[in-house]
Amino acid sequence: MATLSLQHIDKIYDNNVQAVFDFNLDVKDGELIVLVGPSGCGKSTTLRMVAGLEDISNGHLLLDGKDITQSPAKDRDMAMVFQNYALYGHMTVYENMAFSLTMRKEDPNVIHKKVLAAAEILNLTTQLNKKPSQLSGGQRQRVAMGRSIVRTPKVFLFDEPLSNLDAKLRGSTRREILLLHKRLKATMLYVTHDQTEALTLADRIVCMSMGHVQQIGTPLELYDTPANLFVAGFIGLPPMNFFDVDVKNGRLEGKGFAIPLDDKQKRTLKNYEGKTIVLGVRPENVVLGNDVGIKVTTNENLGMNTLVHGNIEGGSKIVGKLRGWCDYKNGDNVKVSFDRMHFFDKETTNAIRGEV
Amino acid sequence: MTDQDKQIKTDRMRFTKNKFSSNLALVAILFDVFYFVSIYKSDVSTYYYTLVIGASIIYNLAFMLAAFLSSEGVKSYGEKFCYILIALGIMQFVRIFYIPWKASHSVVTIANVDVVVMGTAQFVRCAIFLAISGIACLVAAVVGIQKSRILNAYIATLGEEVRRD
Repeated sequence: MATLSLQHIDKIYDNNVQAVFDFNLDVKDGELIVLVGPSGCGKSTTLRMVAGLEDISNGHLLLDGKDITQSPAKDRDMAMVFQNYALYGHMTVYENMAFSLTMRKEDPNVIHKKVLAAAEILNLTTQLNKKPSQLSGGQRQRVAMGRSIVRTPKVFLFDEPLSNLDAKLRGSTRREILLLHKRLKATMLYVTHDQTEALTLADRIVCMSMGHVQQIGTPLELYDTPANLFVAGFIGLPPMNFFDVDVKNGRLEGKGFAIPLDDKQKRTLKNYEGKTIVLGVRPENVVLGNDVGIKVTTNENLGMNTLVHGNIEGGSKIVGKLRGWCDYKNGDNVKVSFDRMHFFDKETTNAIRGEV
Repeated sequence: MTDQDKQIKTDRMRFTKNKFSSNLALVAILFDVFYFVSIYKSDVSTYYYTLVIGASIIYNLAFMLAAFLSSEGVKSYGEKFCYILIALGIMQFVRIFYIPWKASHSVVTIANVDVVVMGTAQFVRCAIFLAISGIACLVAAVVGIQKSRILNAYIATLGEEVRRD
């Protein structure tokens, strides 16, 4: 397999629109990197630049230390799996999987062995004589993956491969991709807008917004210590609650609530005394308590948890993910506390480090 | 080629089509078309306005349809389609001795002059087209039968149901 290095990559289109700004990333051998972000953030553009489907405006792309910035896509030894599968409808699964090797005029017997091996890995052995139209979405996506596997490329590129699948199939196919990665120990770049996919699949996540990299880190790092407001709001479902609060006399004072700070929190916010900061609280960190009064608007039971939507007395909206089955009615008053808080600079939107 | 290579080659047939036979059947159609468009070129056009010629035209259409369906059938290793191709191939040879042969030996009198309906060159050309078409059908059929039997025998050893037709 391979290492991949993206160094100061920019993408500027002919109409001077810049889609990617100074992208830097070193992908280790066998690592699964997930590029995540909302639509239009430049993640697919970055992937297409790596694949060679888009020109790189500035910067360098290195594969195993060799500069391939100007290399055509066919010479990069990378395989890409697309969202829409890109299978040939008139060919069988076997022919689709064998196609790239047939085009390279490899020995048909070698192709046969590779296709059967890939089909075995992907559990497609009984589907080899079928046409793509006879397969389910998940099976089609597996065929698309199989077509990549037979090539034994240095790097696998996935461009939102699960977006066309329904929720149940997405879950199972996601697990298959994870198993595939473990089995092949391949270097993979995976693009998605789904933060759940990113958290479950990635060795490391690259979170992007508006063409800029917001944070690179392990799923836990992004979830636990988000670098800024964007990452904090994007990673996690339901998203983090944000409140403008003043740091005053060892307390956080928001509209309709005040929360005392402990010593560690005071040390973290010592430079913000008298200033307004953004307080971030994940719904799962909202627990029944005494600090903040909420007027319930909606109660969504998820089985193990209940999502309680409500308004704080000052008017701010809040979502809490409370353990167990709750039956709050519209208008009920509930008192909650926050068992974990994240602090962000209101001006720079960056996290105030040392948060607890 | 080692025994293992041979086995892989046979195993490959489970997932690949018999394009050789299929394409040969299409070649047979192509040369039938060449024959079809060559035969009516004559200065004595009235010679052809007979029921036999009408039947010949219909047979050509039927041949093309049958050969095309057979080409699809042999592509999937269907053995019975090979027998259809054999029949069609033999008929192409038989046809040489019907219209082209008869026309090349027929004479019509135009303005008190005896004229041969089909000249030797035209006859040879038509005969070659039909012969190539017939050979293509026969070779496609023989190869198709051979491959079909090898595949079916192989599938039987795998314990799968032999359902090719």
